[in-house]
Amino acid sequence: MNTLHDEKFASAENIQQGFKDAKYICSKKIATTLYLSYHLEKPILVEGPAGVGKTDLAKTAATFLGVPLIRMQCYEGLDESKALYEWKYGKQLLYTQMLKDKLNDIVDGAGNLSESVQKLHKYNDIFFSRSFLAPRPLLNALQQKEGAVLLVDEVDKSDNEFEAFLMEILSEFQVSIPEIGTIRAETKPFVFLTSNNTRELSEALKRRCLHLFIPLPDPELEKEIIRIRVPDISEKLRIQLVSFIQQLRELDIKKVPSISETIDWARVLLLLHADKLSSDLVRETLHIILKFEEDIRVAEENLYNMTVRARREASH
Amino acid sequence: MEQVLNDFISALRSSGGRVSTSESIDAMNAAKLVGYHDREGLKTSLSAVLAKSLYEEEVFGECFDRFFSIGAFSEDQGDPYGGLTPVTIEENSFLTQMILSNDMAALAASMRDAAREVRITEIQFFTQKGLYIHKILRHMGLEELKRDIRQLRQKDTSSSRQMADTLENLKGRLFEKVRDFVEQQLALFSGSVTEELLDNYLRNIKLSNLEKQDFHRLHKIIKKMVKRLNDLHSRRRKTFKRGQLDFMKTLRSNITYQGLLFDIKWKKKKVDRPDIVAICDVSRSVEAVARFLLLFLYSLNKGLAKIRTFIFCSNLIEVTHIFDECSVEEALVRLQTGTGVGIMLGSTDYGQAFRDLAETWSNLITHKTTVLILGDARNNYGDPQTGLLKTFQERSKRLVWLNPERRSFWHTGDSEMKRYLPYCHLAKECSTLNHLERVVDSLL
Repeated sequence: MNTLHDEKFASAENIQQGFKDAKYICSKKIATTLYLSYHLEKPILVEGPAGVGKTDLAKTAATFLGVPLIRMQCYEGLDESKALYEWKYGKQLLYTQMLKDKLNDIVDGAGNLSESVQKLHKYNDIFFSRSFLAPRPLLNALQQKEGAVLLVDEVDKSDNEFEAFLMEILSEFQVSIPEIGTIRAETKPFVFLTSNNTRELSEALKRRCLHLFIPLPDPELEKEIIRIRVPDISEKLRIQLVSFIQQLRELDIKKVPSISETIDWARVLLLLHADKLSSDLVRETLHIILKFEEDIRVAEENLYNMTVRARREASH
Repeated sequence: MEQVLNDFISALRSSGGRVSTSESIDAMNAAKLVGYHDREGLKTSLSAVLAKSLYEEEVFGECFDRFFSIGAFSEDQGDPYGGLTPVTIEENSFLTQMILSNDMAALAASMRDAAREVRITEIQFFTQKGLYIHKILRHMGLEELKRDIRQLRQKDTSSSRQMADTLENLKGRLFEKVRDFVEQQLALFSGSVTEELLDNYLRNIKLSNLEKQDFHRLHKIIKKMVKRLNDLHSRRRKTFKRGQLDFMKTLRSNITYQGLLFDIKWKKKKVDRPDIVAICDVSRSVEAVARFLLLFLYSLNKGLAKIRTFIFCSNLIEVTHIFDECSVEEALVRLQTGTGVGIMLGSTDYGQAFRDLAETWSNLITHKTTVLILGDARNNYGDPQTGLLKTFQERSKRLVWLNPERRSFWHTGDSEMKRYLPYCHLAKECSTLNHLERVVDSLL
């Protein structure tokens, strides 16, 4: 990739510490994968439930490296012209119209058609040069001199065709534009692909990537994350909160709360100046962590027991 | 160490993980980077490189633990001599010395070397176990050990006899160790062959003879098949509001404005995906295959965007929503027993089925649609309604009939196949998965 950041990527521990400084707690597994990705120059395919910090991982990596983050959101129907580059057709047409008179000057004096064409050939393909090229995220990422973090978000939402197209870029870090030639990355970008598993990705794409599955965090990790992200929250409330969330995840609900919800909840509780969990408080704020009416109903049934248990755990 | 990693990768392959060559090169590089001293680190690194989904990660974890835990000689055996001072004989073989000095590490290393020498990774069937055990033992020097024991017995002093007994005993233990080792290796390396065999077998066996236990494997094969089929499709260029500039078209249409580029045309690629109306017979005459035809339809339904599925017996009903909502087992049971779907499981009536389709859903069949009929055309001597089939054929892009019966049975008894045949673009026998695949392949 680039030798610029070798120091930062000297070991998995370094990465872990660096990310922690950037307020992202990553497990040993994540750090090791990042380490490998940097040294093997391979993209990382990040999978996991929604809200466990897949996108945040890329953002933090950009902060950590001090390079821009270029994000490309995938959706059905995304194609080359939106992802890679597009000619500025309007500009091209406008210029041809404006330069019409100029054109007369140039071909002036030419005896016949072939001579005029000869004359025109001296001017190369001006209308298909870089100044008429509108770079889109992928090309943009390749053109960054200092390198970049390229985040291809929710790649599973895109079509199969786009996925196939992505492979040239991911394995060679170059794109070919017929009119200009091949553009190679000056500094290879650090690539993250995220997927929510709405569909199975192709074998070929997977083969080109390192695979990283981020699960929902265990209590220790989650407490640590809350401590870093919401530092003002009291120790006691933090433990209660995490314990409650962990219990909630064991219930049979549609959408289990993930880290982002835990963080939101912690912030809300902080705003409400709460210092401990109580059944009423939880009931009032439950809609922040649960997104379905049925889920809230299920949770309310067990609410009292869970709150008591969370409080008991904190008092240990 | 590279050899070890290679062995590990082939073990992983045989337990079902798919590892490509490029991935194994990556694995080598990763292992070089991380080193072998940190077990957890190595495991996560290799997992990131080799396992590409959550399921594969599990397979990988299991295989890793199994592979790197073969410590056949690790446990302490205690003092093997039982307080006996060893009788030194000068021509003690290497193996004898190792056994007597209780050098487990050396024994393990020697066994591994021997195993590599006889290519244990090629072991495929449990019947080869004995062969490999003996090959390994011979490589480790069993003959010399036996010779030493013979010599000790010939000396015929009490201590040498005791010594011979001890050696005999230790030889037995060694044999057991090697057997354990070979068994483990068998478990590690034999998987892939049998899996492949089974897959091939399932593809060629008649659908009606398939057992229930193979159902899941079959489902997997079919799913793969459908995915492959869905990836094949035609692309065509179509005029769009935006997209790439269609230069030719723009020039052509602007001739009217004296070449002034006034009306700009854009083009875009359009993907033509299959558009299918599938009709499946679930009556008793096709009972044996219906399950698998439905399974196939289920996978088609999940894999293709534009598909409407119908089943019929005495009447015809749409089941697309059931396939969409239910898991595969639930859907199949519901459809076959007919619970809560409104199908009458009386005698098969192709005529009625066609009438139902024509009355309620005839607008589904357009010039882009492929109509797929799965059934044996045994109509219980009822009215076959060939006229309706003809209209379906005329309106559709293609009409395909898949018959689970052999061609030679098509015109026997109450089979109406002969009368339906003229109205099918394609009519084929379809009794194995391979048939199914070939037909659907030609269909897209």
